[in-house]
Amino acid sequence: MTAQNQTLARPMASPSAIRVPREVLVIPVVMAVFTAAVALLANSFWLTAATSAVALSLSVTGLAILYGQLGLVSLCQFALVGVGGWVTLRIGHAWHPPFEVSMLSGGIVAALVGLIFGIPALRLRGLYLALVTLMLAGGFQTIIGAWGFPDGGPGFLGRADGAGRAMLSRPDLAQDSVPYFVYVSIVATIGLVISQWHKLARPGRAWALIRKGEHVAIASGVNVLTYKAWAFALSGFLAGIAGALLAGNVGQLDGRAFTAFESLNLFALAVVGGVYNWYGALIAGLLLRAVPALLTDLGIDGYVTIGIFGVALFQALATAPAGIAGQISGLIARLTRKGQKP
Amino acid sequence: MNFLPFIISGLGIGAVYALSGVGLLVLFRATGVLNFAFGAIGAVGAHVAWQLMEWDYPLALAILAAVLVSTLVSFLYGRFLAPLLSYRDTVVRAVGTLALALFLIALMGVVWGELPRRLQFPTDQMYLTLFGVRLTFTRIIALVLAIVVVGGITVLLGTTRLGLDMRALANDRDLSAILGVRITRTETAAWIITGIFAGLGGLLLADLVRLQGTFLTFLVIPAIAAAILGQLRSLWVTAFAGLGIGVAEALLTPIDWISPYRSATPFVIALIAVMILGSTAQAALKDR
Repeated sequence: MTAQNQTLARPMASPSAIRVPREVLVIPVVMAVFTAAVALLANSFWLTAATSAVALSLSVTGLAILYGQLGLVSLCQFALVGVGGWVTLRIGHAWHPPFEVSMLSGGIVAALVGLIFGIPALRLRGLYLALVTLMLAGGFQTIIGAWGFPDGGPGFLGRADGAGRAMLSRPDLAQDSVPYFVYVSIVATIGLVISQWHKLARPGRAWALIRKGEHVAIASGVNVLTYKAWAFALSGFLAGIAGALLAGNVGQLDGRAFTAFESLNLFALAVVGGVYNWYGALIAGLLLRAVPALLTDLGIDGYVTIGIFGVALFQALATAPAGIAGQISGLIARLTRKGQKP
Repeated sequence: MNFLPFIISGLGIGAVYALSGVGLLVLFRATGVLNFAFGAIGAVGAHVAWQLMEWDYPLALAILAAVLVSTLVSFLYGRFLAPLLSYRDTVVRAVGTLALALFLIALMGVVWGELPRRLQFPTDQMYLTLFGVRLTFTRIIALVLAIVVVGGITVLLGTTRLGLDMRALANDRDLSAILGVRITRTETAAWIITGIFAGLGGLLLADLVRLQGTFLTFLVIPAIAAAILGQLRSLWVTAFAGLGIGVAEALLTPIDWISPYRSATPFVIALIAVMILGSTAQAALKDR
């Protein structure tokens, strides 16, 4: 079964718009089990890794919408995470609003930035979008390297020198690391549900048509421009929220961590995790944060991770376009089919 | 303010960009693959050269080994891995080379670490004085190499059987196959040529700026920018665009408020180029 079949078949399976489809309901259940398991079992080292893994999986979900639904390659997703984090820190330090306000503004600004750079792609095809976004990631690397992230200082850039450095406080609901992990999981679950709903409902059908061919989509009465722009905005928004959650995790961010290379890595892992199933993003987030943590634990060079990701990316492209998640879902499908036919 | 020293220094780096842009373009025209790993392939070669020079091998051997290693890596990927993605979208084939880039970065990180080094050639000490500005022989070599190589490729594409095959593939892959163009052989040749270019570019940039895996990997960005300005088609426009990007980047150095952002020059130029030229260059990007 190809990926397009999966995305096309689902809406037909659930024609009623009011009933909540099973594909959406399963997300909170799985996330709750996962969150409970981590919160109960993990020590503080793993909890930090898991928190950023879940936050990042939100940004991978954005990538999965662009690549999985529309076939568009965006190589600047981690830069958008940085934009979201920057805005969150900037607003948080300037006016000290509740965390949610800073977080939402981070998401909205990242959505706008994603939209602005998606506009040239509205008319262009594949490779050019990849190039535009790669340039954006490179440009962001330079800018954030020069600006750094705000840490309570004066002026627009909000940079404090030495002693005056401040941390962004976590949301009032979740000051400690375990409640904060649960908080991040809940936000991520909401994000995952929103994007899954998009895939199943009207936008998902429109995206599937656009992917088949823009002329097909136009002939079917789909507003190509709006739906493509909406995909970019949604993807940017999810990245921005992920950035805000990362900023909240440690209280600050390091400008040197937002290189163009990280964006490439994020895209590679989105493909490896699987862009056609919602849990592909979660797998990608875990791979991105938990595998390096594991290797550090074992005392293996961090570069080995990158090499593994590279090999996994090629393997996924060449033999398993649906990624790890696709293989899992295939396995589940085979098992349940066997169960039905004794 | 005297901008001349900056123009001269920019010409050297610009020549590397030009060389790399042409290297990318040869591969893209013949195979339809935009090689994101171009910089990484060159970086591996440059590291090998550095290692051999550390072990006191002669310079000529180090340079030869560097170009050979880069060519070998490019050949191995092009011959054995790239064909697995032959019939996919252009963008998927480009992403495939991203995997190679990640792998090579990891390899360099494990073997050599991320410590910035510098490759030093004896030609760095030799110089001509031109309008009161020192022009090192390394820069002259880079410029001459760029011109020779673009000329050589033009002759290759224009007059030889291989060039004819490459141009045929660039026009229509399936039709060429029907007409008896040996696709794998032609594509492999293009990968070897691009590997040689990557090796030379990596060596020169490691000497002119610094030797560091991730830094050299992103050599690919100005090179892509140059190739886009050449509409992914014209070798000479690409070469001049590469030179121009190098000079523009260097010219911004003395301007205080813009200096911290000058490394973004290739990105900005490429962004503008994609937005303006993207629609016109679309013919070159039709799915093969």
